[in-house]
Amino acid sequence: MQRISRREFVKRTAVTGAAFTSLPAFLAACGTSTTTSNKPSKLVVAAVQGNEDGPLKKVVGNYKSQTGIEVQVVEFPYADLFTKLVTTFQANDSSYDLCMMDDPWMPKFGTMGALQPLDSNFGFTRDSDIPTVVYDVGTWPPPHGPVPPSEQGKTQHLYGITIVGNVEMFMYRSDKSSAPTTWDDVYANAAKYNAPNFYGYVIRGKATNPVSSDSLPILWSFGGNIFDDNWKVQLDSDASITAVDFLTRKLKKYAEPGAESFDAAERSQAMATGKAYQSTVWPGEITGIVEDPSVSQVKGKVAYIPIPQGPSGKGLGMMGNWLLGIPKGSKNGQAAADFIKWMLKTDNMRNYVAQGGIPIRNSILNDASLAAANPYFKALAASFAAVPNWRPRTDQWGAVETSYGTAMNAAVAGQLTPQAAMQKAAGEIRTVMKAANYPS
Amino acid sequence: MVADLPVPTGIQPVRTGRRQRSGQERLAYTILVPALGTVFIIVTIPFVIAIWQSVTTDDGTFIGLRNYSRALGNPLFFDALRATGLYALIVLPTEILLGLGFALFVHRAVKRAGLRATLYVAAVLPLVVPPVAVGVVARLIYAPGYGVLNYVLQTVGITHSEIQWLGVSALAMGAVASVDIWQWTPFVYLVLFAGLQTVPKESIEAAQVDGATWWTQFRYIELHYLRPLFLLILFFRMADVLRVFDHVYILTGGGPGTATQLLSLYIYRIEFRFFDGGQAAALAVMVLVSISILYSLVTRALPLERA
Amino acid sequence: MAPTPALPRKGGGRTLAIGIRLILIAAGLGVAAFLYAFPLYWLIATSLKGKPELYQSITLVPRHPTLQPYYSVLFDRGFWVLLKNSVMVCAATVLVTLAVGLVITYPITRLSVSPRLRVGVLNWALSLRFLPPVAVVVPYFAIVRTLQIYNQPIALIGIYSLFNLPFAIWMLKGFLAEIPIELEEAALVDGANRWTSFRRVLLPLAAPGLMAAATIVFTFAWSEFLFALILTATPNSQTFPVGVQGLVTQFEIIWNDMAASGVIAMSVPLVLMVIARNYIVAGLTFGVIREK
Repeated sequence: MQRISRREFVKRTAVTGAAFTSLPAFLAACGTSTTTSNKPSKLVVAAVQGNEDGPLKKVVGNYKSQTGIEVQVVEFPYADLFTKLVTTFQANDSSYDLCMMDDPWMPKFGTMGALQPLDSNFGFTRDSDIPTVVYDVGTWPPPHGPVPPSEQGKTQHLYGITIVGNVEMFMYRSDKSSAPTTWDDVYANAAKYNAPNFYGYVIRGKATNPVSSDSLPILWSFGGNIFDDNWKVQLDSDASITAVDFLTRKLKKYAEPGAESFDAAERSQAMATGKAYQSTVWPGEITGIVEDPSVSQVKGKVAYIPIPQGPSGKGLGMMGNWLLGIPKGSKNGQAAADFIKWMLKTDNMRNYVAQGGIPIRNSILNDASLAAANPYFKALAASFAAVPNWRPRTDQWGAVETSYGTAMNAAVAGQLTPQAAMQKAAGEIRTVMKAANYPS
Repeated sequence: MVADLPVPTGIQPVRTGRRQRSGQERLAYTILVPALGTVFIIVTIPFVIAIWQSVTTDDGTFIGLRNYSRALGNPLFFDALRATGLYALIVLPTEILLGLGFALFVHRAVKRAGLRATLYVAAVLPLVVPPVAVGVVARLIYAPGYGVLNYVLQTVGITHSEIQWLGVSALAMGAVASVDIWQWTPFVYLVLFAGLQTVPKESIEAAQVDGATWWTQFRYIELHYLRPLFLLILFFRMADVLRVFDHVYILTGGGPGTATQLLSLYIYRIEFRFFDGGQAAALAVMVLVSISILYSLVTRALPLERA
Repeated sequence: MAPTPALPRKGGGRTLAIGIRLILIAAGLGVAAFLYAFPLYWLIATSLKGKPELYQSITLVPRHPTLQPYYSVLFDRGFWVLLKNSVMVCAATVLVTLAVGLVITYPITRLSVSPRLRVGVLNWALSLRFLPPVAVVVPYFAIVRTLQIYNQPIALIGIYSLFNLPFAIWMLKGFLAEIPIELEEAALVDGANRWTSFRRVLLPLAAPGLMAAATIVFTFAWSEFLFALILTATPNSQTFPVGVQGLVTQFEIIWNDMAASGVIAMSVPLVLMVIARNYIVAGLTFGVIREK
């Protein structure tokens, strides 16, 4: 009698069914419950791990004591943050109330329609104390420069505001020489001061974003570019190849071994430990490493200037602002907007600077009383005023930067000649842009 | 091998064998069908979705096999296949030879049971270290600047400048391969060592009386018992090598350039850096189909259990 | 082929032979031990270095050993939440996997089912082990989006159970098959129904096997990285391996924290494996290669 009784069978099925259906419910309840009440108790910020979000993490405590709202900062390394934001937006998830975005990511998020407009939804207006370029970089579609074909009909809106006023600058050991004005000066100084264990120039050569950020100002200063105003690829032009040759052959001679693996932290560390003469630099590295007394041996010996001029006669600095935006999926939009406004208030920004933050207000950058503690302010103010260049405003920037950055890395490593590298990158980028319906 | 389960003899008042079996079978299917069916559906749904994603665009329009032709037309795809093949070629023979060598060594040379047991436990440990942790360990060894390997080499005097283990393609491939070898040679060792235990002592002793060298002993006696194990090891390690992701992602991220961009890292890049969902789905489908075919071909040849 | 003469069995030659043998054994084991122990030592040593030490030259032994990195990882960075998530997700995975595994394995081993079905199920289960996770994550992400379980632990529990189910099936099949069917039949004769005989007779006997399977499933789920990386967004559902990877960055000099997180990640499976060490080979090969 192996037959199961009907009652037993029903009972067993019911138990199993109940278990299987209640298990998910139970487990889902273990997750966050997002409140839709007007005043949330918590805001979640997706941030980039590194020097850029350090000051943010330090000031959110003040926000909590002032408003009672806890701001949780969830960190990711650079490339992972971009992936994480895109996948979260694709899932239309409400996990993040705010997100830190590198400005080249704006086009992708703007094209995806993933962010809430700050001007029309939350009443943000342009403050005259904040450089215009900051608002421009957070606006989609972009107010100047080429606009992707699919975005050309859209109304412009402000989607993000800078909280890390990163503009790429130049640093050199001022105790050894005066400031270089052109890249030829840079090269001459590199040759002159290069010594064992003291690199004439430090290249941030790691693949994709690091080497891309490091090399674009040089590319532009020599008259080269990734795209022209009609989205035609320019990487294999003579000017571009000359620029790449300058960096990966000429400056490389006086650069550190293993440049193809160096990222920003290594570069700053080399400077901070007195092993390097000059390099490009981001303000975040300055406050975090080079001018940090607990780890730096060169405090007071380094000077900061805008990017030197190239043969084109201009030194083109590069925007690398980190913006705060509000994802569409967030259920606490108003509270998030309030937090952004709080960050922008002058007093709070001064406090932020004291914690190592990079400000964007001209009044703070030009404040003489802060100049001594923040030796880069003058150069940063000058860089903003010169209107720095920004990276191409395309939603395909991820693929473009990966192709360009991988090819540049190969050139820095000596695996490819500058010409071969740029032709390879140009070919890959043309394929990507064509598949994305850009003009070619 | 699983013995055939005995058919229960009649315990209850008069039933024919046939009706009992169907009673049992009915119970079996009542339990089995919903559970297995659910699992089967859950497993097949992703495959169906992947196929659907690979033949449509993001907004659902049908575009046929265009994603497949783009996937196959991308030279980086073949670079990834080549890199994976190279990785397998380095890793598999090395693991098997080292594992075999060490198994023979311990089998012949170490007789103390206590030591053997300790070696057993020691061999088990690397197998269960999470691959991300092994990747971290590898970073601490090979990374420029803080990697200890360069430090040791320079201190001992073998080299005088930093070697870019992760910056030179060949060395980077060697580095990621070395991590795999470090973690999985113990697996080969454990399996082959257990296999060596099954070799009858009489055969070995007879051979030794005849004056056989260790090589003859191995080739004519032990190898015979180990042969099926070699095939199985190859089978499982090959499957793992084709799937590898975690420690390579942590150690090199696919670099320098695309030198260590193995197949899984390549698919990851297409889906989560380029966000080309259609192409990624096409790649996923191709990989899944290939593996299924490979699997069914290989299992026919292998001494797996058959009921 | 003339065989080489055997070594002399008497006198000084024998002592020499033993001496050489011992040296070779020691050398062989020593090299292997060094290759495996040194990386782990280095990991632990790095995890005990303070931040300023990272800016100085490398030393093999920390100059001023400190537990600060562990404190930083668990509390400053809040990774104890990730640890908690990992434990919860892995435990839930074990429960689901074993439950479903038993439901599938019991009929196959205890009830008479056509051999073709049995072989079919077992082979199909084994084939799941060969799926590259990255190929599965592409469609699975679409499923997660549709079901709106992104950034929920249940998404991870679901996929981990799925990937570990084949292993559970193979392992449980092996254990259940070893328990003589007569014992259950005796219970049935005594008037118990199937469920009671399962609960009172089979489960206690299968308990060691269940524990072993549970330990191994927990270990495999603990190490999983790719799905956790993709399907989670906040510490609400992130597991510990995601945290470890997040510290592998060259934007900050935090190798000591990175090493500390590696040590923590490693310690759980290592402890578990000492307990379940006899089953790991079977676990990795789905019972195809089983040692006694």
